Amino acid sequence: MTGSAWAIEGTALTRRFGGFAALDNVSIAVPQGEIRGLIGPNGAGKSTLMDVLSGRAQSWSGQVTMDGRDISALGAVERRRAGLARSFQRTNIFPDLTIDEQIRLAAATAERDNSDEVMAELGLADLAHRRAADVSYGDQRRLDLALALVGRPRVLLLDEPAAGLSMQESMVLARILRDLAGRWGVTVLLVEHDMEVIFSICSRVTVLHLGKILADGTPDEIRRIPEVITAYLGSTVE
Amino acid sequence: MTDIVAGAPTRPRRMGFLFALLAIGAAGCTLPAVVQSPLFLTLMTQAAINAVLATGVGFLVRQNGTVSFGHAAFFGLSAYATALLIKFGLPAEAAIILAVALPTLFALALGVVIVRITGVAFSMLTLAVAQAFHELVLKWRELANGDDGMAIAFPARVFGIDMATFQQPASMFLVCWVALIAVILGLWLLCRSRFGTLTLAIRENEERARYIGYRTVLPRAIIYAVSAAIAALAGLLFALYNGFVSPGTLHWSLSGEALIMAIIGGPRLVWGPALGGVIFFFIKNAAGDFTDHWPAVIGITLILVTVLLPRGVGGVLVWLGARLGGRRPS
Repeated sequence: MTGSAWAIEGTALTRRFGGFAALDNVSIAVPQGEIRGLIGPNGAGKSTLMDVLSGRAQSWSGQVTMDGRDISALGAVERRRAGLARSFQRTNIFPDLTIDEQIRLAAATAERDNSDEVMAELGLADLAHRRAADVSYGDQRRLDLALALVGRPRVLLLDEPAAGLSMQESMVLARILRDLAGRWGVTVLLVEHDMEVIFSICSRVTVLHLGKILADGTPDEIRRIPEVITAYLGSTVE
Repeated sequence: MTDIVAGAPTRPRRMGFLFALLAIGAAGCTLPAVVQSPLFLTLMTQAAINAVLATGVGFLVRQNGTVSFGHAAFFGLSAYATALLIKFGLPAEAAIILAVALPTLFALALGVVIVRITGVAFSMLTLAVAQAFHELVLKWRELANGDDGMAIAFPARVFGIDMATFQQPASMFLVCWVALIAVILGLWLLCRSRFGTLTLAIRENEERARYIGYRTVLPRAIIYAVSAAIAALAGLLFALYNGFVSPGTLHWSLSGEALIMAIIGGPRLVWGPALGGVIFFFIKNAAGDFTDHWPAVIGITLILVTVLLPRGVGGVLVWLGARLGGRRPS
């Protein structure tokens, strides 16, 4: 660790699919402990950016650092072991394992085992011995988040964790996320289409549009930027 | 933290399985004392060897989610290794140990390469490798005597045990039965370990396993090697019992039969394929007494099991056991 101010930083990130630039020279830096929202219309490059930062993307250019350490050459396994965890747009769990089995399995690769704490915080303790395939969709989404949170990662990339949840469930999830991130000092980069969630827990928001950064600022600033309103928010968000 | 979580086992304890396995194991050991028919004991010995092979094939399906059409390679390699190493002057004891160790190491090295490939392509690769060995022993007459096969020149005693012990049905049945029970017990313990949970997780969702910090190729290769080791053990038992080995032990049809045994018994259960091996063998022999077309009977059995009992005969027994025990069948 070099003591960089940025928990995670991507510099000049570019990823092309043929002639189409899903990410076009994007730079983003998130300081330690911040919950950063990442919004934009479909196809803006949000998930591609998450893939590049997490080591899932195969061919891209630019540089990714964690606490100043260049992790660009590391694969997904090494990045996880370095303290970078992520969740996925689609529920990505182990359906045939019990909740307890998979959370403890995830904890075994981390420096500290906080399985019990994570299960309790996310309301999964009472379901611990049920197969993941047998619990509700909402419980599966919380399990997906738990698999990322276990071991207290330093940086957490969340790709639409509230997708498919009711408004009430989304807000509960947002509160849990804000509490845990605050207590554990986790840096979060959060992709989410639910603006209630984004504006309620993020201290800053970055807007992507057509593979480029359109705007960056506090939620209040973002709400007032005409280009963002036109490209994404529309007139419904005041 | 709730009491449910604190210090709780990761899965409900299934000590009942352990007791049942040991009881069945002990009951099987009394068989030679109860049954005097050498023919029946011969059939049971062959069935037990089949069951060991099927257990290896089924374990790969259960734990890696992949289907091998080439486990005859490890079965046959073990038998040929025994014959060739003794022929080249190694002590029989060393040959026997190497007969299991060499195919296992080969499988580990091969596994590191081929487990990265999934689905039909994986199955075809395993088939190609096995058929390559089959062609090798068939064509290289100077080494392995071609399709005439090789007699294995065992000494009079192996590991201080009279060789006749391994070649008489009553005593060899005991050896094979104990080996089968030990294999099932070992796999059951492995499945309950963290490594067992990890490999199941990889089977379920390999990408997510990487994102919780696990490399996935080596665990899959180790499972492949374990299943190959079990097939090699079956090949060794075959070699000890028959004292002879032929290219048929490497042929894809043996791999196919082992896979059919696993499917009939139920590969989701560690012991299911062994049950399937015994069922397969007795159907084969019973049908063979009436018709030369016994494979058709096996085929019909396979179709019926696949359509009506997708979890195999073992799955039905588990379901019935749960019902009789008043538990909700899964």
